[in-house]
Amino acid sequence: MMLRIILSVVKFELARSLTAGRIGIWLLLVLFPVALVGTLRLNEVPQNSAEAWGIMLYFLVPEVVCLLGLLLWATPVVSTEIEGQTWSYLALRPSGRREVILGKYLTAVVWSFSATVVSSTLSVVLMGDAGGLRLWFVMCVLSGLSALAHASLYLLIGLLFYRRTIVTAVFYTGAVEYGLSFVPAVANKLTINYRLRGLLSNWMDWENARSAAERVFGSEPTIVHLSVLVTMTVVLLVASLAKVSLSEYPTQQEG
Amino acid sequence: MIELNQVTKLYGDVIGVNDLKIELESGAYGLVGPNGSGKTTLINLLTGQLRPTLGEVRVFGEDPWKNRRLLRRIGLCPATDVLYPNVSARQWVTYLVSLYGFDATECEDLAVESLDTVGMKSRMDRPMGEYSLGMRQRAKIAQAIAHRPDLVILDEPYNGLDPVGRQQMSELLSDWVDAGKCLVFASHVLHEIESITSSFLLIFGGRLLASGTSDELEEFVTEAPQEVTVVGVGLAPLVAVLAEQPWVEAVQLDGRDKRLRLALRDPSAFYEMLPHWIEKYSLHIEQLQASQSNLSAIFESLLRYHRGDLA
Repeated sequence: MMLRIILSVVKFELARSLTAGRIGIWLLLVLFPVALVGTLRLNEVPQNSAEAWGIMLYFLVPEVVCLLGLLLWATPVVSTEIEGQTWSYLALRPSGRREVILGKYLTAVVWSFSATVVSSTLSVVLMGDAGGLRLWFVMCVLSGLSALAHASLYLLIGLLFYRRTIVTAVFYTGAVEYGLSFVPAVANKLTINYRLRGLLSNWMDWENARSAAERVFGSEPTIVHLSVLVTMTVVLLVASLAKVSLSEYPTQQEG
Repeated sequence: MIELNQVTKLYGDVIGVNDLKIELESGAYGLVGPNGSGKTTLINLLTGQLRPTLGEVRVFGEDPWKNRRLLRRIGLCPATDVLYPNVSARQWVTYLVSLYGFDATECEDLAVESLDTVGMKSRMDRPMGEYSLGMRQRAKIAQAIAHRPDLVILDEPYNGLDPVGRQQMSELLSDWVDAGKCLVFASHVLHEIESITSSFLLIFGGRLLASGTSDELEEFVTEAPQEVTVVGVGLAPLVAVLAEQPWVEAVQLDGRDKRLRLALRDPSAFYEMLPHWIEKYSLHIEQLQASQSNLSAIFESLLRYHRGDLA
């Protein structure tokens, strides 16, 4: 029954989010890496370094496109309902909290992941010899993992700070996922992007990149990166569900 | 049906409701109080959206905060508006019903049935962004009754309805009550509640002032002093005379000696003596106002008690 309710939430959320504005943002996210790759190709940038093209595509798609999409679609899932005064209609249903949150989480993942897959596909086609099926497949898998993990992170941030949710999420992303993840210290191992970069170098066999920047790409085996990512995703989701279940959400403020 | 045992809810330093003790059998009740009196806090406690700071809340014998399955038996129409502009009422109500775990066909059937009940069937496929406030209000009622709850709680359900809509809403709610279903109906407009039920809970400042039928409440305040306001010129001499009368509870003259407010235990004695005093002190009376003997007057009297204006 829980799965049925979650799917019902996803169906409703997808239907109501098919607006010109949201589709426009989705297209913008898709076309941003494509435009950049296309410009480089038009300027005949050499294609002999597949690693350089691949790393660029990784930073553009599973990191930038995916994170921007999730910032817009996963972070404000509760704050927009609270500000729109529609949360009370959901929260007073027996399955109106946990299942709704999970449904909204999956909807955000679907929106972001679809943008990254289309963007990766078009970009890899434009990259020609520097691309290839393997790079495309790895980008799609990394985008999926990035969407699942980052969405759970932004969901929790949105639930903890639902008054300045986007600002908090942007600050966290800048400071931790783009700042700390590049710091050659133990702390960077606790970031999602470090694990994604480790998987990228493992799955693409980019030993040159790893040896040049081991603290950035990591040296752990694939199973370690995957286990940490799955654990982080599950822990963040469980924390979000606990937070939403235990919080008080009055229908309106009253003195 | 509802039991609140010494329930207090604090928002930081602000009191939402204070030491509420209520026991209600199944039936229909009007929750009356001005804006900010604690009605919505009480509703949030009954629907498990708030946890009491002190005390215990029971609805159908269960704690709504701890047992969320209880919400299957409750329908709530909040005072807040619905803001899904590109979603139709049918989609919205179907979605909300699906959160109770009904299968897709059942959700659709229940949603259409409830929208038909509130007179929205012909317009249920239009986006809610095109609805008037009254139509959105009907859609809100539909989502509250669609899953066939045992208890419906309505917070200001007449907001935005035109006179015809109000009449239709009253008929709808009366039918609900006549069908033996439970209803708690919050409003700050007394006559709206009086048209649906004669049982009231009067709430102010987070406290329950009184509860019972309008007749019981009227009887309760029969002994209370009745307020009479005298408007005129040269009223000052009356103050000294009235202060000596045993049936005068309170006398208050405004700064310009033009308005005299009295609390009288025996208003008939006052009306008997008034012509004599008019002649003796050459008073010029422009207006004489007595509080009306309806629920509004009862509420005003209880509020004055609560504020300490009356002994």
